[in-house]
Amino acid sequence: MPSWQDFQPFIVTGLALGGVYSLSGVGMVVLYRTTGVLNLAFGAVGAMGAFIAWSLINTLSWPAALAYLACVGFGAAISLLYGMLTGPSLAGRDPLVKAAATIGLALMLLGAMSWIWSDKARSMVLPTTNWQYSVGEVQINWTQIIALALGVFVTLATAAFLRRTGLGTAMRALANDREITAALGVPVRRVEATTWLVSGALAGGAGLLLSNLVGLDAATLTFLVISSLAAALIARLRSLVVTLLAGVVIGLVNAMATPIFSISSYRDMTPFVLAAVALLFLARHQQISFARRSR
Amino acid sequence: MMEVAGLTVRFGGVTPLDGMTVTFDSGTCGLIGPNGAGKTTFFNVLSGFVRPLRGNVRALGDDLLAMPHYKRARWGLRRTFQTEQAIEELSVADNVALAHEHSRQGSRASRRADVRSALAFVGLEVAPHAKVETLGARDRRLVEIARAVVGRPRVVLLDEPAAGLPDEETEHVGRVIRGIPEHTGALVVLVDHDMSLVSACCDTTAVLDFGKLIAAGPTAEVLRDENVVRAYLGTEPVS
Amino acid sequence: MRVTRPRIRVRHPATAVVLLLVVLLAMPQALSTYWIDVLTAVAIYSVVALGLGLLMGRVGLVSLGQIAVLALGAWVAARLDFATSIPFPLVLLIAGTITMVLGTLVGLPALRLSGLYLALITLMLAGAITVVLTTTNFPNGGPGFLGHTESSFGNPAVRRPGIAGGDAAYFRYTVIVAALMFTLVFWHVHSRPGRAWAAIRQSEPAALAAGVNITTYKLWAWALASFVTGVAGGLLAGSVGKLYTYQFPTRDSIILLAVVLMGGIYNLWGAVVAGALMKLLPALLDNWGLPPDLLIILFGAGVLQVLLTAPGGLAGQVPKDLARLGQRLATLSGRRAPEGEAP
Repeated sequence: MPSWQDFQPFIVTGLALGGVYSLSGVGMVVLYRTTGVLNLAFGAVGAMGAFIAWSLINTLSWPAALAYLACVGFGAAISLLYGMLTGPSLAGRDPLVKAAATIGLALMLLGAMSWIWSDKARSMVLPTTNWQYSVGEVQINWTQIIALALGVFVTLATAAFLRRTGLGTAMRALANDREITAALGVPVRRVEATTWLVSGALAGGAGLLLSNLVGLDAATLTFLVISSLAAALIARLRSLVVTLLAGVVIGLVNAMATPIFSISSYRDMTPFVLAAVALLFLARHQQISFARRSR
Repeated sequence: MMEVAGLTVRFGGVTPLDGMTVTFDSGTCGLIGPNGAGKTTFFNVLSGFVRPLRGNVRALGDDLLAMPHYKRARWGLRRTFQTEQAIEELSVADNVALAHEHSRQGSRASRRADVRSALAFVGLEVAPHAKVETLGARDRRLVEIARAVVGRPRVVLLDEPAAGLPDEETEHVGRVIRGIPEHTGALVVLVDHDMSLVSACCDTTAVLDFGKLIAAGPTAEVLRDENVVRAYLGTEPVS
Repeated sequence: MRVTRPRIRVRHPATAVVLLLVVLLAMPQALSTYWIDVLTAVAIYSVVALGLGLLMGRVGLVSLGQIAVLALGAWVAARLDFATSIPFPLVLLIAGTITMVLGTLVGLPALRLSGLYLALITLMLAGAITVVLTTTNFPNGGPGFLGHTESSFGNPAVRRPGIAGGDAAYFRYTVIVAALMFTLVFWHVHSRPGRAWAAIRQSEPAALAAGVNITTYKLWAWALASFVTGVAGGLLAGSVGKLYTYQFPTRDSIILLAVVLMGGIYNLWGAVVAGALMKLLPALLDNWGLPPDLLIILFGAGVLQVLLTAPGGLAGQVPKDLARLGQRLATLSGRRAPEGEAP
């Protein structure tokens, strides 16, 4: 069994990753509660944003800060576009159909990334990664701190926003019942658009951070959505704070298993196993689905 | 005969059935009540979709609630739904046979004969191999009723079987319903809002309001009962 | 997943048989080894698509983990093949059966979930299996339960059946086994389980009220899909000879979903279309010098198109389009009055 010192660097990486998982996870939960869409393309959106930023910096010599903004902006824009184009057609349909449609989006983005940028090894280093300092015997860089801090901040801010502002209340009303909310005069389309926009921006930001913490690779970044998804599922797609905690736990467990050689090669199973357990736990009270004809 | 004793259902803060106690004698019995009185919930308990908090149901000597839901159809419990549920993709004959083939009564040939006689009984004059999705509302309703009476049913639950049909079709459905106890020996419970249909088909009627039984007896008397009238018109019930 | 009102068409059996004969006899003669391998892959993945199409089109269940099931089938077949001298057909049967049993064990708790949650749990389980496979690898003639050895020299390939050692012969063998799988599913669909599945898909309460034991029938469909996919895994093991984890990426499960949707889930031929989309099209594109990534974009667009507009997929849409074209041609040539006018 490795010593405390051996674990320390992994605790740091785990916390940082966990912060990002929570960031995406919160975006997914809010989007799902408001629109009924579980966006499985979250990772792909973030990945593409990161690639765009990379190209802007390395090929077009944009200043880094603008490129990062473009990444977040891209995430917001493409999510908004997707939401507005597919929203009307998929409105009344089963959440499964809506989620399956996002798989279509993910494939399109994956294919585009593969085509435009191919599989060459790339890296994109945020300036914050170079600002390092030591705590005890561990090196921590600012990207990691930002990742965790952002995760916590966004979770708490979103929770407060949903509870305290008019727009937030509208989102919660939509989550509850779209038709009634529309009948009450709430501008449903506008609220949904805002939700897509913001969740998309979060995806972009997550992509940017992950490209630093994990690497700039299309497939890896796209499928990291599963860890965020796992966090969201553990929270039963409901509680934002639980999403935060779950995301951090997933990140920690995954990272801390690295120095334990006997299970190390299986550590990538963490999000899958935790999510599967969470889902089965959710299933224990299932009654049969009533004849709500999903078209 | 079906005896319901102290049946109570609760979800969250709502109590759709509150100590319902009633006995359905043989023949065709009506079950009426204002919207939200608990009639469909009662059927859902019988079908097994909803588990009651308390109470039991004995039908023809057997404890119905002790059976797993899919076995109740095999026992002889049949049901139609408020929104018609004929399976579009299957043919008329397959739809009607659905309940029967999972009851494993008799041989294939005898089952086919049962399906034919059920179709004749409800007066459905379409080819048995026609796909249900090609049929209109009236025929689909009849398919559902045929499915409910094929073979040897013991208790037939009909939930607004003529909803959405014009008057003359409703009369036809009424005639079919009246004939079920004689043709099959089953007990029929009919839930409906159409009082003329209920009067025409049902010898006895029970009335639910807020999940409780407020009247039961010969149909004509029950429909004149003060409490029943008041329940429908919404004024305070007499204590 | 209910995508539209289903329209089952019973194909004229003669067409199917003629097509089969052409494929079996003519094609291998006319093609190079490369294309024979591609078509073998098409046949194998058609069977996988058949399994998924059965789940989605007949019972309304979505599994995002069928490629992991395929990998399991391949693993079992390879292990049996190296450890014993059981004849190949029996290996296929056992691989299919073991996969079916494993699938059923997973299905027992998982099928209590429905719709989206079921799809997600299959994704999660598939991901877990993929991670395990990355570590345990595939059997390659080595010792122990896992049957894997790290040395990369002189490892044997999975042996093929005696009568079908060469590529062309193995292709014919694969097509026959695939046809058997299709027949098995066809038979299910047109008898009692198929009718029960139709009822379940439209309305679970109506099915229950008719005495259909929904859990049993869902499990049956799940078991059947696992079985055919396991057999496909065995065929794959024999086809490629050496199995590696990279041959079963998670991405393929997603692509499988896309091509099955595009091929059409309400028609057994849709599975063949799906297999062709997944394995033939990339090879064709490669041959014409076009980037295969374009295909991924196309599949993504295909998924969106199917879910947003033409839920029957290509196998449902093309006959409709052809019929409409036929009508238009007939109108133009004056043989029929245009619609809206009295004949």
